[in-house]
Amino acid sequence: MTAAPVVLASGAALGYGGDPVLEDLDFAVPAGTSVCVLGPNGGGKTTLFAGLVGALAPTAGELEVQGRPAYVAQTDRTRLDFPVSALDVALMGSLAGGRWWLPASRADRRAASLSLERVGLESESGTRFGELSGGQRQRVLIARALVQDARVLLLDEPLGGVDPASAEGIEGLFSALRDEGRTLLVSTHDVQSARAFDVVLCLNRRQVAFGPPDEALGRDILEATYGSEIVVLDGGDGPVRAVTVQHHEH
Amino acid sequence: MSPPSLFDLLELPVFRTAALEIGLLAIAGGLLGTWIVLRRLAFFAHATGTATFPGLVVAEAAGVSPRLAALVVGLGFAGSVERAGARRPTDAVTALALVAALGIGVVLASDVFESGAAVDRLLFGTAIGLGGADVAFSAVAAAFAAAGTVTLGRAWTATGFDPGASTALGLPARHSDRALLVLVALAAVASLPAVGALLVAALFVTPAATARLFARSVTGLLAGSVVVAAAVGGAGLYTSFWLDLPPGPVVAVMGAVAYASCAAATTVRPPTALRPREAR
Repeated sequence: MTAAPVVLASGAALGYGGDPVLEDLDFAVPAGTSVCVLGPNGGGKTTLFAGLVGALAPTAGELEVQGRPAYVAQTDRTRLDFPVSALDVALMGSLAGGRWWLPASRADRRAASLSLERVGLESESGTRFGELSGGQRQRVLIARALVQDARVLLLDEPLGGVDPASAEGIEGLFSALRDEGRTLLVSTHDVQSARAFDVVLCLNRRQVAFGPPDEALGRDILEATYGSEIVVLDGGDGPVRAVTVQHHEH
Repeated sequence: MSPPSLFDLLELPVFRTAALEIGLLAIAGGLLGTWIVLRRLAFFAHATGTATFPGLVVAEAAGVSPRLAALVVGLGFAGSVERAGARRPTDAVTALALVAALGIGVVLASDVFESGAAVDRLLFGTAIGLGGADVAFSAVAAAFAAAGTVTLGRAWTATGFDPGASTALGLPARHSDRALLVLVALAAVASLPAVGALLVAALFVTPAATARLFARSVTGLLAGSVVVAAAVGGAGLYTSFWLDLPPGPVVAVMGAVAYASCAAATTVRPPTALRPREAR
């Protein structure tokens, strides 16, 4: 028997009041699956996440998530000048419990400390968020999601601007979270890293493909997803190798 | 003129009333100033106070309660700016509303009602005209500021730190942001009799901005902001009695000097927050 999906899109379209900026979404993600969301800038990755967290209502079709997902932003979308420590940020996850008007309880603090320990940052709990390295900040935001105890995590380009060593650590964390039954949707520009995921969702203002990496990372699909923004290096009988040549928006 | 003894001044009922008023405003201004500075609402706070000016002129001429008129105008200003700016006030919308309100106020004061000397008091505050009703209103504003900080402070912090995550955290970001704007408008109106419509920022922005140079936590910023507001307000009040000046400008100048001194000190030794660590 197939497990019920925890994320389900059925003919969904999303927009900001005018024409839809993302449409034809049709996919079902079972629990414990890692999904790589690929697409160019403006392709709809962030819009999809906005729809999944409930900030945007579908303009057509249905978009459902089981429970409240945790959203892990790009660290440059956070305020690095805020006087908050790593522990303070992790503790923000406890607000999702619904009692945001009450002070953090001892149990909340313990959960936040344990989450920081889980991401390997227990020794930095008192360090200001803005003083941490890019990779450490990303791990603190993941710790916040763990305190939230969400079964579905949405990670918006978590490896952007992170050095290779930190990226490896974060990817290891993704595997551990998936192994304990959490569902991860991770947006990225890195076509090569997409191969490590269970499923790839390709977007370019519409759903181009949804399936295992071997199917979704073919030359035709990548070219339909990225257009002229991708350079296919080789392919043949083996896996297609490709690099995106777009620039990040700032 | 030699400076008066503080103990002599404390013998004066009018000084004690003014000191109590400044103390209460320091609580309101320090607490809300923290959120104003963290949420980048300094211009909005300044504009809210100034925007009450036409309401004060009309109330003065019509014999209506200036506080009531200022409250109506202040809340109306906050609401219209929030609505026009869709959730959070933008500087352009705030500036447009501020310029319009100030222009209307000047026309009313100079050509319609010929308000004369009363305009100075409305714009820059007074230390000797404060009464029990002013103190009571400030006490209410301080109580609301404290209650808002206790109940909404975590939501304000989380939403300001990472706006994109507020929905996923289940926070009522829009309502809590509106509540912040209303509290700022209420407290700004409370401060009008003491510091005047033009210098609300002296108690609501400068102290928090000064404390922000040193604070390592939001709690530390809240406490530091109240302490700086009380110190600057108290020193400004003392000086205004000594030199027979309106308190608003004196508090504003002292606050600016305090900020500049602290900023210069931290420039010599930059905050570590501006120097992210190397990747580990």
